[in-house]
Amino acid sequence: MSQAFGIVNFAGNHIQVDGLQDYRPVGAFSFLGRYRVIDFPISNMSNSGIDTIQIYIRRKPRSLTEHLGTGRHYNINSKRGRLHILYTESNMVSDLYNTDIAAYIENLDVIERVPQQYVVITPSYMVYTADYSTLLQNHIDSGADITLMYHAVDNAKDNFLSCYTLEINKQKGVDSVTPNRGNAKNKNIFMDTYVMKKELFLDLVSKAHKMSAMYSLVDIIDESCHDLDVRAVPHRGYFAAITDFNSYYEANMSLIDLKNAMNLFVNDWPIYTRTNDSCPTQYFETSNVKSSVVSNGCLIEGTIENSVIGRGCVIKQGAVIKNCVISSDVVIGKGVHCENLVVDKHARLIRGKRVIASPDKPGYIKRGDTL
Amino acid sequence: MKQNNMLAMILAGGRGTRLHELTKKMAKPAVSYGGKYRIIDFPLSNCANSGIDVVGVLTQYESIQLNSYVAVGRRWGLDAKNSGVYVLPPREKADANLDVYRGTADAISQNIDFIDTFSPEYLLILSGDHIYKMNYAKMLAYHKEHNADATIAVIEVPMKEASRFGIMNTDEETGRIVEFEEKPEKPKSNLASMGIYIFNWKLLRKTLLADIKDPESNHDFGKDIIPALLNDGKALYAYKFKGYWKDVGTIDSLWEANMDLLSKNNALDLHDPTWKIYTEDVTSLPQYIGSDAKIEKAFITQGCVIDGEVKNSVLFTGAKVAPGAKVIDSVLMPGAEVAEGAVVTRALVADDIKIGKNAVVGSADSEHIELVAKRVKGEE
Repeated sequence: MSQAFGIVNFAGNHIQVDGLQDYRPVGAFSFLGRYRVIDFPISNMSNSGIDTIQIYIRRKPRSLTEHLGTGRHYNINSKRGRLHILYTESNMVSDLYNTDIAAYIENLDVIERVPQQYVVITPSYMVYTADYSTLLQNHIDSGADITLMYHAVDNAKDNFLSCYTLEINKQKGVDSVTPNRGNAKNKNIFMDTYVMKKELFLDLVSKAHKMSAMYSLVDIIDESCHDLDVRAVPHRGYFAAITDFNSYYEANMSLIDLKNAMNLFVNDWPIYTRTNDSCPTQYFETSNVKSSVVSNGCLIEGTIENSVIGRGCVIKQGAVIKNCVISSDVVIGKGVHCENLVVDKHARLIRGKRVIASPDKPGYIKRGDTL
Repeated sequence: MKQNNMLAMILAGGRGTRLHELTKKMAKPAVSYGGKYRIIDFPLSNCANSGIDVVGVLTQYESIQLNSYVAVGRRWGLDAKNSGVYVLPPREKADANLDVYRGTADAISQNIDFIDTFSPEYLLILSGDHIYKMNYAKMLAYHKEHNADATIAVIEVPMKEASRFGIMNTDEETGRIVEFEEKPEKPKSNLASMGIYIFNWKLLRKTLLADIKDPESNHDFGKDIIPALLNDGKALYAYKFKGYWKDVGTIDSLWEANMDLLSKNNALDLHDPTWKIYTEDVTSLPQYIGSDAKIEKAFITQGCVIDGEVKNSVLFTGAKVAPGAKVIDSVLMPGAEVAEGAVVTRALVADDIKIGKNAVVGSADSEHIELVAKRVKGEE
């Protein structure tokens, strides 16, 4: 059993995914057809032997709590382990006050009661796989106060703009944690992933709470860089941050390439999700599917190219789907041509024969809409 | 047990000899079917969907996989309080030597003590070898409505095939069974027994206790118990089932049952959200369809990676078809892989079997389906 408990944090105020986020938090977004974004951080913890996991929910809890359920599908020990769903949103005057620190303060007693000595904190809006048991061991061996995980990228000018970056010195120490201003290509993107002692975590939370009502954990850590031993550890493999509509679309599209996907879905590191008991997908004589990721339970008669198809979709004869991310239980009617779209759950595209957005600005079809 | 006072017992000890290598180390009910299922998922899901809470599974032949598989009642939602799936292999008892189940009726007789702990009013006997969807609650209602001592589910089969089945001759008006003939040479009716029985437990219990002592008995429901009840003038009724029902006894029929899933609006209708078939939850990826893939009429499940051509075929969890490979009129069982340029036609490729580069397996005009149960080497 791990010496650490886990926290899966919600996406802060700076993260805004237009459309999809009106219905659910980023963690509950459908991802690559059969998953939800939050399946990745929870599976990482479960596979790392962390079985006391706190999930913080900020707003619109329904779809996330429904998906998490008892947490049994995450392969957490059903007696010793626990998936703990914690809420915030206690009549905040403004959403600006609704920070992670506010959520931790509200649940302080719950955190204090956890017996584990360390905490691993991860975000619910990033997709990656990482072994936290190694990360924790490195942290303990290094004697550092705080370990932060980052991913070095070379496209930070136009991407990861809502993420934070780490300024790292030659001794692998962190000098500062600041927002990515898009002023350089090469940046160390902070993965919102922290390891520290529970005691220190609680100290920082109360300190932040006293300093500013709008502080996040990342702000207080930036302030503490010079007083504490804060170190950075690089991450390798697939990494995506779902911080806006485009990054959600791009993250899905990037995983259509199986070679790319194998950097995320590594051997012996299962990604758990809730089963839907849907049957296999049926392809009919007229189907024509290429370069796509398809989930179970679909009935496919039409053409699909370079797209992600969720569970239980019906693609009728003559329909053409290109460069789309389709959520579950969507119907694309006879002869309907869709391109560059994100189609939310239960939508039915049956009447409009051409629903085409531009490739650099994909379109969004609302949940349950009939077109 | 609360829901309808009926306990179900699934006979799952069958060897399935005619499935050859598929059942060499695994009982027939554990054989894979329909992309992601095992045959026994059908009776178990039917029980769960019919409101039956307690299911005993009688296992015997090569039961390690089957026992561990069915023991997790959660998969079928059979895990609430007073609910469960009980694995019942033969066991040693204080007053008798350890003995195998000598017949279908003996398997139940040896578990009378188990059934008594639930004191059910009705006992439902099922076979673990059949693929079908059936609401047993409706059959129980029929049983009660007719004040029957026993009710046997029957299905109409073509008259010319009737001699392969156990045939029920009934009073056409009432549905009461007047005669039972096991594989008759000259069948008088085409109502075949599906091996699904509802008994009033008290009566069956008495009949079984008498049967154990009978040295002449085969301890079989069809051969001994049903004829004995008819001789005693008990009220046995035939419950007519309409729908898809298949006993997959041979490689050809297992292949055929899979092919049945390819037609539009097929009778089994696995897509029906009101009667789902539940199975093991696997963690594999969604289906990956490559840039040169060609898929025409196929039933494909998660974990499959398709880069070649798939036509009129059923692919099970984790099956892979490499670029330039062709899979036609075939079934790829879980984990089967077809390498570059290989061609598989009218074949059933067993679990985890690899077909090598440019190898050719099966042929379009073969009489029987080729079972591929050993690795086929290809070009190096």
